[in-house]
Amino acid sequence: MQTIPLTQLKRGQSATIHRADLDAEDATMLRAMGLRPEATLRVCRNGSTCIVAVGTGHACTCRIGLDRSLADRVLVQPHS
Amino acid sequence: MTTVSAPPPGHTKDDDATGSVARVALIGNPNVGKTTLFNRLAGVRHKTANFPGTTQEAHLGPIAPGVTGIDLPGVYGLGLSTSESEIARAVLSGDLAPVGEHASVPDAVLIVLDAMNLSRNLRLAGEVLRTGARVVVALNMIDAARRRGLHLDAARLSDLLGCAVVPVSGRTGEGLGDLRSELARANAPTRTPPADESGLERWADEVFAAGASSGETAPDRLTDRLDRAFTHPIMGVLTFAAVMTGLFYVIFRLAAHPMDWIDAIFAWAGGAIGSMIPPGLIHDLLVDGVVAGVGATVIFLPQICLLFFLMSLLEGTGYLARAAFVIDRLLRPFGLSGHAFVPLLSGHACALPGIMAARAIPDRRDRLATILSLPFMSCTARIPVYVLLTGLLFPESPAMQAVAFTGCYVFGVLAGLFSSLIARRTILKGKSRPMALELPSYRLPDLRSALLTTRDRGWIFLRKAGTVIVVISMVLWWVGEFPRTAPPEQAVEMRAQAEDIAPTDEARAKELSDEADAVESRHAAAHSFMGRLGTAIQPVFAPTGADRQLTVGILASFAAREVFVTTMAVQVVGMDDTEDEGVLSALANAERDDGTPVFNPATSWAMLVYFVLAMQCLPTLVVTAREAGGWKWAGLQLGWMTAVAYGFAAATYLAVSALGA
Repeated sequence: MQTIPLTQLKRGQSATIHRADLDAEDATMLRAMGLRPEATLRVCRNGSTCIVAVGTGHACTCRIGLDRSLADRVLVQPHS
Repeated sequence: MTTVSAPPPGHTKDDDATGSVARVALIGNPNVGKTTLFNRLAGVRHKTANFPGTTQEAHLGPIAPGVTGIDLPGVYGLGLSTSESEIARAVLSGDLAPVGEHASVPDAVLIVLDAMNLSRNLRLAGEVLRTGARVVVALNMIDAARRRGLHLDAARLSDLLGCAVVPVSGRTGEGLGDLRSELARANAPTRTPPADESGLERWADEVFAAGASSGETAPDRLTDRLDRAFTHPIMGVLTFAAVMTGLFYVIFRLAAHPMDWIDAIFAWAGGAIGSMIPPGLIHDLLVDGVVAGVGATVIFLPQICLLFFLMSLLEGTGYLARAAFVIDRLLRPFGLSGHAFVPLLSGHACALPGIMAARAIPDRRDRLATILSLPFMSCTARIPVYVLLTGLLFPESPAMQAVAFTGCYVFGVLAGLFSSLIARRTILKGKSRPMALELPSYRLPDLRSALLTTRDRGWIFLRKAGTVIVVISMVLWWVGEFPRTAPPEQAVEMRAQAEDIAPTDEARAKELSDEADAVESRHAAAHSFMGRLGTAIQPVFAPTGADRQLTVGILASFAAREVFVTTMAVQVVGMDDTEDEGVLSALANAERDDGTPVFNPATSWAMLVYFVLAMQCLPTLVVTAREAGGWKWAGLQLGWMTAVAYGFAAATYLAVSALGA
């Protein structure tokens, strides 16, 4: 399955997180915030700030705002 | 309401696991409503205390009869390298307790979960369950989850977690009775989640899948739209500017009346105390030192309370997290992050709450850069100085006074931003942590929590700054008052003359007597310790155009900048009523010892620049030392700001003098 940076997703598009190429501290923090491998997300805004809703269905109530430099290094598998 | 107790543990429990519960630590992710729940449980009886050696605060209070709750900072995990996580780990292991509390392992842990965001929250719950501590889980915001159509099976969750699970609402108070009952009989969990990270995440997913309904809901389009608008590069900035203008307008508008009342109360108290105590040293110390000093501090209380109240309400709406991203883009080039915005903004009211608000900045270097640059923001204590000097510079033009006044604010902000840039390129070198922030759901703010926060902040301000200011006021009074000297001959002669003509020309006699008072005050000020110090130090400030009297003004206002105006008035006019137009015009015409004006355009500009940039606030230094983690930071702040202020003031003096203005 093709993986692309989170920043390449379009608004409203969903994806599954593959991995995050970040330093250990940032990666651990994002993981604890819910942005972990296998987690699904939906892009609410993509620009200098990326806003994603993490999880699916009823669990999709956690929104994370990410600086673009972080979002660029989160690799995802887009849902068709 | 369904409350489910954990099944009895299948193994033998030791005494600790069944003893009475007296201390309970509350733990949870940020934004789960933990503090709202704590406030609801403890009410107004809670207190706020720092953890020793840190800037993190804990709320402490009785959350059930005989049970003290410790509200820990919000954490995403126990194993993270953030200060919040370190504190949570240390409290749970019994190595740390808030100041004034005995450090010991809490009898039980209350895990607060957001019912609407259970999947991620369960990960932290799993980490706590792994410690084997006696636990109770609170499914908070259950009312909101219900409204969203989310069904949570508390019985099933209790079975899967191996502990009591109580659905509650910190906002409405739903389920609190059941929660207190469960806390009183908290047990160690009967299940242990996996130890490895991936295993824990899978476990959290499985528990969620089994304990919560799994129906799909449509994406929240309204939140999407609001998020896009509030973080938009143009619309976001405009919204932000409008919100903040409104906030500060309300603060300045509403604070004006209580500030006047406080002023009147202290004036009355000074008069009342003055009339009760016979004239003399104790009278002067109490009226001019203690009452005036305490009054000068307490007068800022309304602004500080309003600032925290409104910021707390605003934070409760969920908007501030969005605004942080807007500001992040503007502050990033100066080595500051979006987290610095609220502290910098608060600094325009008073640096003390601003520096305290910098606690919320997660990255240490960002936090230090914010604290170091924050006192450049023009606080309300600078206003009297700005009013005096812009009035002296443009006596005939209110419009130019307003332009100069605004210029002072802009100059302060620029000085702060460039100071941060220099700090981040030198002593605080290193990559800034890019922003990653949870954006909480939009909701109506919780008035109760905002009021409690305001009460806490107001009290902290009075206690910390008030005590320092009282001591400073007394010291300043003493060095300005002693040694006492005999009245100068000129004053003695004027008084004798006044007595002679009193029977025939009472008005002239009164005039002469007032002039004699003024001459005597000027003489006393010049010969006091402060006056002598001014004469000795004047050569240092000479490049800024300061004479002996201005030097005394600068020195006296070192501890609190607004003292400058009063000190100048006392020295020049011998009166301290600066609202009297006669005093202001006397200041404009004040002469140096050599007969030249004290406030010529060059010195007025130089002093204005000096007071925009100089530190001149001892309470700020005390709070910087406490919040930044040492006096070296306070020393650096004082040294840097004084050097910048001195350099710019000297350059201004030279430039304006050269222009012949």
